[in-house]
Amino acid sequence: MTTLTAGQQLPEWSLPLTPTTIVSTAIATRDWQDVHHDRDVAQAAGSQDIFMNILTSNGLVERYVVDWAGPDTELKGIAIRLGAPAHPYDTLTFTGTVESVDDGIATISVVGRVSLGDHVTGTVKVAV
Amino acid sequence: MTHERIMAEAERIKALGEASESRAPYPVNQPTIGAWLDAMGYDNQRFRQGEAPPSMAQVWTMPGLGRRRPDDDPLSRMMELLTAEGYTAVLGTNCEQTYERYLRVGEQLRVTTALDSVVGPKSTAMGEGYFVTSRNTWYVVHPDGRSEKVATMLFRVLKFIPKERP
Repeated sequence: MTTLTAGQQLPEWSLPLTPTTIVSTAIATRDWQDVHHDRDVAQAAGSQDIFMNILTSNGLVERYVVDWAGPDTELKGIAIRLGAPAHPYDTLTFTGTVESVDDGIATISVVGRVSLGDHVTGTVKVAV
Repeated sequence: MTHERIMAEAERIKALGEASESRAPYPVNQPTIGAWLDAMGYDNQRFRQGEAPPSMAQVWTMPGLGRRRPDDDPLSRMMELLTAEGYTAVLGTNCEQTYERYLRVGEQLRVTTALDSVVGPKSTAMGEGYFVTSRNTWYVVHPDGRSEKVATMLFRVLKFIPKERP
């Protein structure tokens, strides 16, 4: 497992988004809201296309941090703020920084950007 | 007065505390974990050997296609009230999860929902709205009947009056 110290930068990770990405993750998180799999419904509701659900944004933040910090990483929490929607044919690019390591907990800030702006910004707490 | 009516109902629902609860339809299970890993493009051996990814906590208690949350769900009741008052649109803004420990295959979960706060009306880029924050607590139900708190989530949405589209 990576030894975490304040100031470390996580390598950037880009995930190209397809309709399959958005739909398969929505269903795998047991989220059947139609705006995550039906473009006609999403557009009728004012969106340009279907968009990623929140449980998937959380899951990808988990994956981004653990893929870097190591498979035995023990997550204590994920706090995210949601911004621009993540649509098919866009790219979701994550960056991250270890902000602090105190009292056995590392705090890692994470941003996931799409072409419309920040899709997700937040912090991940990891036991060290 | 709309605002007074909204805030009075918010106070009443908040006072109910963890007013609703629902059980996960299925125990923590490997096929659901495997499908989640595949969809996320993620692999990690510990999640092929009996542990569940922590951010899946919420997945286990999603109601399922064509199913509703319990009628006494505090978040649903607050949302219905705001919809009736003209705040018809909704947008998720914040999600804060904490994990006490990772779940294991076979564990049975239940989740409670409480209304944490209602703040507004605020003028936002989306339109005028109220920020509604709910608090979920997940418990493992042990075979001896004991409940063990395993995860929490604060979830905030903006419930707003959509601006007229040009």
